[in-house]
Amino acid sequence: MTKQTFLHDKHVKLGAKMVDFAGWHMPVQYSSIIEEHKTVRTAVGIFDVSHMGEVIVSGEDSLPFLNKIVPQDISKLIDKKAVYCQLTNKNGGIIDDLIIYKLEDKKYLIIANASRIDEDLNWMVRNKVGFDVSIVNESHNYSLLAVQGPKTKELIQSLGVNELPGFFHIKRSELFNINVWISRTGYTGEDGVEILVRNEFSEYLWDKLIETGHQYGIKPIGLGARDTLRLEAALHLYGNDLDEETTPVEAGLSWSIPKDKQDDYNGKETILNQLQNGGRKKLIGLKMLDRNIARHGYDIYYNNEKIGVVTSGGVSPIRGDNIALAYIKPLDNLAVGSTIQILIRDKLHNAEIVKKPFVEKRNKENK
Amino acid sequence: MNENALCTKTHEYVLEQGKQYEVGITDYAIEQLGDIVFIELPEVGSEFVKNEAFATIESVKAASEIYMPISGKIVEINEQLVNSPELLNDETFEDKWLVKIESSADQVEFADLLDYSDYKEEIE
Repeated sequence: MTKQTFLHDKHVKLGAKMVDFAGWHMPVQYSSIIEEHKTVRTAVGIFDVSHMGEVIVSGEDSLPFLNKIVPQDISKLIDKKAVYCQLTNKNGGIIDDLIIYKLEDKKYLIIANASRIDEDLNWMVRNKVGFDVSIVNESHNYSLLAVQGPKTKELIQSLGVNELPGFFHIKRSELFNINVWISRTGYTGEDGVEILVRNEFSEYLWDKLIETGHQYGIKPIGLGARDTLRLEAALHLYGNDLDEETTPVEAGLSWSIPKDKQDDYNGKETILNQLQNGGRKKLIGLKMLDRNIARHGYDIYYNNEKIGVVTSGGVSPIRGDNIALAYIKPLDNLAVGSTIQILIRDKLHNAEIVKKPFVEKRNKENK
Repeated sequence: MNENALCTKTHEYVLEQGKQYEVGITDYAIEQLGDIVFIELPEVGSEFVKNEAFATIESVKAASEIYMPISGKIVEINEQLVNSPELLNDETFEDKWLVKIESSADQVEFADLLDYSDYKEEIE
């Protein structure tokens, strides 16, 4: 049975093309993926991401518990601050990638992928033995609206929230007299916020944001553009670029692994070893040197030897070329600037290894 | 779309034009694909049998193979679309055929093709 968000009927009324995604019936596009993409890069877009999972972890041992299940050091997290991290298995493989928010002392909010929420909860419950901690799945009570793009700040300020939370911070706030949590996070590489609201207010909030956002050029954005936006920003998609056979080091996420964390955590030995010696594979960015498009699953060749596979690929509406994320064997002679080949419909096509992200991110400097 | 076109259930069409046939994808297929960003067409002179993949059209989301509605030999390809795939999405642009073919297909090959009006009923 496919699930629907509380905004489902809104999407249908807006004429969205609907698809099944991670067990949810979701809008993939309202008008055109490329137009929606450009709206987010130049003005502001609103996304229904209510399929995402929300889990509250609280209790006396919530900090040591979280420190056991993710490589990040949660003890460094101050109130109302968020951190990007991964739920790792005993081998350091990634069960899911998460954002953990510290709401208050001994109370944390986890935002998880819709496709992984069941695995996450199972894994957390298996790991809670010996910890005085409560794990509550709140996903069915909350809707999540992402408002992303350079006009986000102006729009939110026009609603009476003069001071937005800082990058990767969250704050309790009121929008149109509705209690919400606003966090300065997103999945587009643009400045933006994600607004957590109880389901019963989500339709009203969606309508009011679109109504008020009109003067800033707001448009609803589907999962299609969400994917092209995150790819340009080289943000990982679970199931494509991350899975249980891939460690955070291999995924290019070493920046999210503190080397000096004291607590033991799942997969620590493998992860620390890989931080020293490198992983079995590494994530690279590619741009196609012709007009072909690399897609998930296409093989990568170098000197006629298969060296890897594309995990996410597509068009870059902003750059105007075609880009991809791929895993390759760590070979010494391959670096940014090297040319490799991608097998597309039985023919090899040249691609160049390029720096990630593919476009400049414009979220971090915002206050 | 030309009302005289015959359509496949996989959303290609074939339209008789004198001694040649025009082959393309239906307006419904274009709408379903969304933003079209890449078109690969075969070489002039190559031959394909009915139901064989002869072209690839990629939207932002995915790559789709396009199949021959009837057997034939490619006599012309629409270079304009290869250079500017987005023209397929342009409602004011009319030349949306992909290839022109010569064909000696017999009645059997036409038997499972749908009149445009039947095709429209089929997709609704």
